[in-house]
Amino acid sequence: MLGYICKYAPIEVFEAMGVQMKRMEPEVTSFNQADILMHPNICSFAKGLLEEALSSDEYEGVILTTCCDSIRRLYDVLKEQWSDKFIYILDTPRVTKDAGVMLYEKRIRDMIHAYEQFSNKTFDEDKLKQLIKDRQQAEEIKRKENVLNIGIVGARANDSMKKILEERGVNVAFDVTCTGLVRKLLLEEDNVLFGYTRGLLSQFPCMRMEEASNRDQLIKDYADSADGIIYHTVQFCDNYSYEYAWLKEVMTKPMLLLETDYTKQSYGQILTRIEAFLESLNKNIVKPKKRLGGQGTMYVMGVDSGSTSTNAVIMDQDRNMKAFAVVRTGAKSGESANKILKEILDKAGLKREDIAWIVSTGYGRVSIPFADETVTEISCHGRGAHYFNPKIRTILDIGGQDSKGIKLSEEGEVIDFVMNDKCAAGTGRFLEMIARSLEIEIQDLGPIALQSTEDIEITSMCSVFAESEVISLIANNKEKADIANGICRSIANKSYSLLKRVGMEGDYMMTGGVAKNEGVVRAVEEKIGAKLYICPEPEIVGATGACLYALDHMKES
Amino acid sequence: MVTKLSVVDKYIDYVRNEAIENPEKSFPKMVLGFKANKLKTKLLPKKNISKGYQKLETMMMSLVADSLSKEKSYVWSNIFAPCEIMQCFDLNTLSIECLSCYLTGYHLEDYFIDFAQNTGLAPTLCSYHKTFVGAVDSGVIPNPVYAVTTSLSCDGNLNTFRYLEKKKGVPFTFLDIPYEEDETSVSYLAEQLKQLTIELEKRFQKPFDIEKLKQAIRIENETRKELFRFFELQKKHYYPGELISQLYLMMGTHLMMGRPEFLELVRFLNKDIATYPVFEGKRILWVHLLPFYQESLRSYFNSSDKYQVIASDIIIDFMDELDESRPFEALATKIIRNLYNGSYSHKADMIGTLVDEIQPDAIIHFCHWGCKQASGGSVLLKERMKEKEIPMLILDGDGIDKRNSHDGQIKTRLEAFLELIETEGKSC
Repeated sequence: MLGYICKYAPIEVFEAMGVQMKRMEPEVTSFNQADILMHPNICSFAKGLLEEALSSDEYEGVILTTCCDSIRRLYDVLKEQWSDKFIYILDTPRVTKDAGVMLYEKRIRDMIHAYEQFSNKTFDEDKLKQLIKDRQQAEEIKRKENVLNIGIVGARANDSMKKILEERGVNVAFDVTCTGLVRKLLLEEDNVLFGYTRGLLSQFPCMRMEEASNRDQLIKDYADSADGIIYHTVQFCDNYSYEYAWLKEVMTKPMLLLETDYTKQSYGQILTRIEAFLESLNKNIVKPKKRLGGQGTMYVMGVDSGSTSTNAVIMDQDRNMKAFAVVRTGAKSGESANKILKEILDKAGLKREDIAWIVSTGYGRVSIPFADETVTEISCHGRGAHYFNPKIRTILDIGGQDSKGIKLSEEGEVIDFVMNDKCAAGTGRFLEMIARSLEIEIQDLGPIALQSTEDIEITSMCSVFAESEVISLIANNKEKADIANGICRSIANKSYSLLKRVGMEGDYMMTGGVAKNEGVVRAVEEKIGAKLYICPEPEIVGATGACLYALDHMKES
Repeated sequence: MVTKLSVVDKYIDYVRNEAIENPEKSFPKMVLGFKANKLKTKLLPKKNISKGYQKLETMMMSLVADSLSKEKSYVWSNIFAPCEIMQCFDLNTLSIECLSCYLTGYHLEDYFIDFAQNTGLAPTLCSYHKTFVGAVDSGVIPNPVYAVTTSLSCDGNLNTFRYLEKKKGVPFTFLDIPYEEDETSVSYLAEQLKQLTIELEKRFQKPFDIEKLKQAIRIENETRKELFRFFELQKKHYYPGELISQLYLMMGTHLMMGRPEFLELVRFLNKDIATYPVFEGKRILWVHLLPFYQESLRSYFNSSDKYQVIASDIIIDFMDELDESRPFEALATKIIRNLYNGSYSHKADMIGTLVDEIQPDAIIHFCHWGCKQASGGSVLLKERMKEKEIPMLILDGDGIDKRNSHDGQIKTRLEAFLELIETEGKSC
């Protein structure tokens, strides 16, 4: 069996020789070997492939194309590591005119020759002809009525994304990433391999091709058949970000930018983004049907299980807040959940049976054992913000492990959002790290920053680098207040870029634990040139939104 | 001196603010600054570097300042575009990588990079490309008449030029560089080069004269020979320069190759270096880009009599003689056989040849943030150099964006490496 990755790989040529071809779809837990043999800053897909190739013995070789910089280097490393296998890189032209087709045909012939020598098999053009005839072409657009239709565009999408969509009853109307396309097989009776090569090169162009400029129109045409578009990119694969930057301005359909890294661990983050996107498209998603009943006044509860704190709110049917509670999240979000359940019920003077419906949100939302429904924290923050102040159009939420920019409509619905995660810079965790270096309590960092008299620029974008920078500043006898303020301003810069990406429109609100830090609030306000609305307890905005979703549910039923 | 510096700094700050506040109006002020700097390098050259490197700096400042002040005198390009062809139309070739470096003179790289990222470009993309896209997208840099890019040596080229065409309407020729080196590839690229001349004839209303191209190739061959002489002389002589001198030399061999004035300059380098004393320190071969702003690297290498960067692979990424009788094929061969094209094994072979030629004491490979084609093979190169018993240091950082390079980390690694080569020298 030969592995391959690229849609421009001539897999039918090998199949005509009786070789089994398998598209390699790595799903790994770490890049331990790839980081050593290649470099950490290589596209995660290429690193994943290397990890998989090195741990598997099912392949007799791998067919690569010169599709991008990372894959070219993957070839070099594989060739070195797997010298007894058939590792081949096909020089794939970027132009699809005749000159390109002719060049590619020659390259494919050279490859066939090399494989014949390697395997002692022979290539028969008639067999390829028969194979092309036998294969039927399917429609690329498969829209379904009465369900949500999503189109996938961008860099290769792995199966987990499609599975998430399927499980939520969403139809993938089209997938024009290189993993979703139907093969385009052209038959030219007299010139089989040339015709086949032309077909290969005239597939829906990927970003490496010169003709990729036509992609815009093709994508716009395709987009008509979908309710929303997921634009997928792979970490350290930057080609598609150009197209995203462009499409974002011209696309009329809602579009989600989704970055993945081909590791199993990224599943949770993908899930939150996709679910939030589906929620913002305002359609019904499959929900659990369980229901708890209460007597007399009806109460609902929202629980926001974040990385740093778990927060809960209880509301009555008239949207009055009955009680709220905030507890620190421990190592297990389930335990914190039980703790907060007890605390909030005590505060409200209610029993578990009095709560008609519980919605959980936050990254630990699926680990809340008593929740009836889960909604992402993005939608919940949107609803919560609108509840506290209907004028809010843009939310900056900085939590313990990620930060988000959320854009709201006049009705308080989420129009767009961007998230920054996997990187501690600009999050609550980062502030905790710095507070530790400065030997101050985290709650004192804000007030101390306000006393700053000298502007210090913290330039490092990485939190580890920034921490070393802070340590150097301490060593240089810089004032704590000035360093603290420098850190607040570096968070403000990060936040500003997040808000810019989501689109800036007043009024602004800041939520999450970091909104309690006066230093950060001041720095962000200076950077965006506008006031931030902060509600009395900024950590419970998500849980409040969750309550509102619970009330929606009660009204519907 | 203090007053002079503060005037320069004030002007830099002024242009920086203008670029941010009034992008469309800032360009003439920026060009004026480049012109002033050109004059300064001429009248008050850096005292701590050799005369040859002083002249080189002036020449490169002129290339940028003079081109940018005359609208139709240049095309945008990437560093591997064939400047020889542009010269036949009396056009200067300004590579976007180099222009990005010049923008750092106004400390604008972070602003432009953030600008590009805020429009959606990936934070992991090469900072040279992001700086340039940000500068154009924000309205600071005006459009040229035309642009030429190759697919060599990274994916960013086609994407950046295509993005700027779509967003700002800058038309461009894209040269698809095949990976394999054979006759088919050469004809494929030679044909594209011919098409480029036809396109330039149309765009600039000037006829193409093949004799001019042949002449450029003759001069280029001569220049390359002189360059190898320069490397040879550097084995022996101390020749003070700065990290940035290597970048200027790279600009010369990529944007001014085939021009008589550049040939003259290299000849001057050879004459000048012969007057310098014997160098007794360690000779470094630099691989890939040079972060010329990095404090620790500057303090170790600029005008140092202990450690001298004697060459960089980016200066001499093609080493053969070109056949002037078939100029298009010759240029096609030059681009295809470039050290940065094809497999990493090809690159390692060429660096191996360079090592044999110039016999450095050590190699430093700089992995520039976002550059997959260079970083991805760095470990392979290190293995290969081990076979040659040349110590090699892999340094991670960013050629342009200070925020991606941590001076403390670079300093520790560099010092440890220098200690290592010093000890090795003693034990030999």
